[in-house]
Amino acid sequence: MIDLQINGEIKHVDAPDRMPLLWVLRDLLGLTGTKFGCGIAQCGACTVHLNGNAVRSCVLPIGSIGTRAITTIEGVRATPSGASVQQAWLAAEVVQCGYCQSGQIMSASALLTTTPHPTDAEIDAAMAGNICRCGTYVRIRAAIKSAAQLAAMRGTDGDRTDNV
Amino acid sequence: MTLLSGRLRFPFYAAGAVSAAVFIYFLWIVLGPGPMHFVGGKRVPIGTYGAGDPTGVPEVLSRAPLIERGRYLARAADCEACHTSKDGVPYSGGRAFVLPFGTLYSTNLTPDPETGIGRYTNTDFLKVLHRGIGLGGKRLYPAMPYASYTYMSDADALAIKAYLFTLQPIRMEGPQTNLKFPFNQRWLMGIWAFIFNPDKRFEPNAQRDAQWNRGAYLAEAMAHCGECHTPRNLLQALNNRAKFSGTAQAGWRAYNITPDRASGLGDWSDADIANYLITGHADGHGTAAGPMGEAVDDSFKYLTQADAAAIVAYLRSVPAVATRDLPRPKTRVAPSSAEEGVAGNVSPLGKAVYAGACASCHGWSGVSPVMAVATLTGVRAVNDPTAINVAQVIISGALGHNGVDTANMPAFGDAYSDEEIASVANYVTARFGARTSALTAENVAKLRASD
Repeated sequence: MIDLQINGEIKHVDAPDRMPLLWVLRDLLGLTGTKFGCGIAQCGACTVHLNGNAVRSCVLPIGSIGTRAITTIEGVRATPSGASVQQAWLAAEVVQCGYCQSGQIMSASALLTTTPHPTDAEIDAAMAGNICRCGTYVRIRAAIKSAAQLAAMRGTDGDRTDNV
Repeated sequence: MTLLSGRLRFPFYAAGAVSAAVFIYFLWIVLGPGPMHFVGGKRVPIGTYGAGDPTGVPEVLSRAPLIERGRYLARAADCEACHTSKDGVPYSGGRAFVLPFGTLYSTNLTPDPETGIGRYTNTDFLKVLHRGIGLGGKRLYPAMPYASYTYMSDADALAIKAYLFTLQPIRMEGPQTNLKFPFNQRWLMGIWAFIFNPDKRFEPNAQRDAQWNRGAYLAEAMAHCGECHTPRNLLQALNNRAKFSGTAQAGWRAYNITPDRASGLGDWSDADIANYLITGHADGHGTAAGPMGEAVDDSFKYLTQADAAAIVAYLRSVPAVATRDLPRPKTRVAPSSAEEGVAGNVSPLGKAVYAGACASCHGWSGVSPVMAVATLTGVRAVNDPTAINVAQVIISGALGHNGVDTANMPAFGDAYSDEEIASVANYVTARFGARTSALTAENVAKLRASD
């Protein structure tokens, strides 16, 4: 049995150390918002957060996670930048087919946590590992910028309880 | 009247000088030191060495059944890595060794009487392990490290045989070794063995303690470290004058494991080296991949802590030899922003590939935000200006090992072109290493072919 902290809850998982986190999330815990794309960390569809960093869950053995906090698309709304990113995504209507978008939102919200006002180059570097076959990249970039503004406005509004 | 006119005399003398030089070179090779000659001291028979027997299994297994002892020793000798083909049944052979003069295939070590070692008697087994002579007098090529295994005690060799005979017999006739003339003349290997195989069992060094002698036995007779980490001379024998100073092996670089500070293990603590052997990873120094990853998976991870410590003690005693092209690894962490710390002379393609395929695990600083095994800062391969091992691990990935932090790097060889792999390897050395590499697409194509 391995204990994993997922979206603020401790989950007891009966799985071998070497099982990738994505398998645990989707097949054992039913958290199917995180998608399987390529299985070799090449497409970004399986992106989740590990202590706030965007990681590819398809190549992350659960034995190497330890006590670090996992956040999936189901829980990202509770993170400071996650709510802004989701709001901006809806406003810009970023999504087309939607398959890659969980991963896109996870990478974007991790970026805004470390870099609240990213430049175009910083967005490119952070989002390069997330592939979208529908080609929503232009809307993704615009949504990240408006999410940054939204987050900044929340900060100045003093709406701190949401962010902490 | 002279026999040779003045005009002919010069080439005659030149030919004489060249022959003399060749002769001296071969004499220098033939008179090269043995693997344990770097320390002085008297060698004594095992029975008269006061501090115990350096051969055999560790204390915890001393009362275990023969087969269990044999399994420990077979793993310590790492028979499996070479005698298993890719995706093949362990020990059933057929692994290809691509050499400049043809391709060698390992043999089937399962006890199948037709295609394996089922018909080997104890005498036959000792003959092939100690002297490189197979059934019917067939001479083995030194790809089979019998010049190392020759130091193995008879008892240990026969324990290994007992273990191998418990394996499921697999009927597997591997491809035939196919070498060009004159290398296909197996009888020549008899001459090679006469010159280069000491055909002697291990004898403890009376001036060294039990731990050193155990380490010497494990490193030389069992793990045969030198077969990959010691450079070879023109006749493919180990050049122990540069013992453990590193060389190229199966398309990868086997690095310097002497105590040299910059290019060897001088900066590694004893615990670092022992952890690397047993878990395949040492914090701040790197993670085993390629042939060394196999050595960890098939062999070192099964060693007891005491045996790993003995190998460390032995490695520490080897003379330090510097490898000129290997700088001391850079330990300074790169900037965490992708926009900083990029060398100007590196192609933007490398950065683009890194951003898409590498950054999510390895990070931009080189210290992995995900797994310690994925940290690039301080790693030998990243601080190797040839970038050979960086390119190889990108091509074939790194899986396995025994640690909690299991290495889990996908193979990217099929996903990226030679140019993309060369560019990203150069970007990695530029960003995280002490010196920038200049790998080309042509180099990568050759590395793909050599694996």
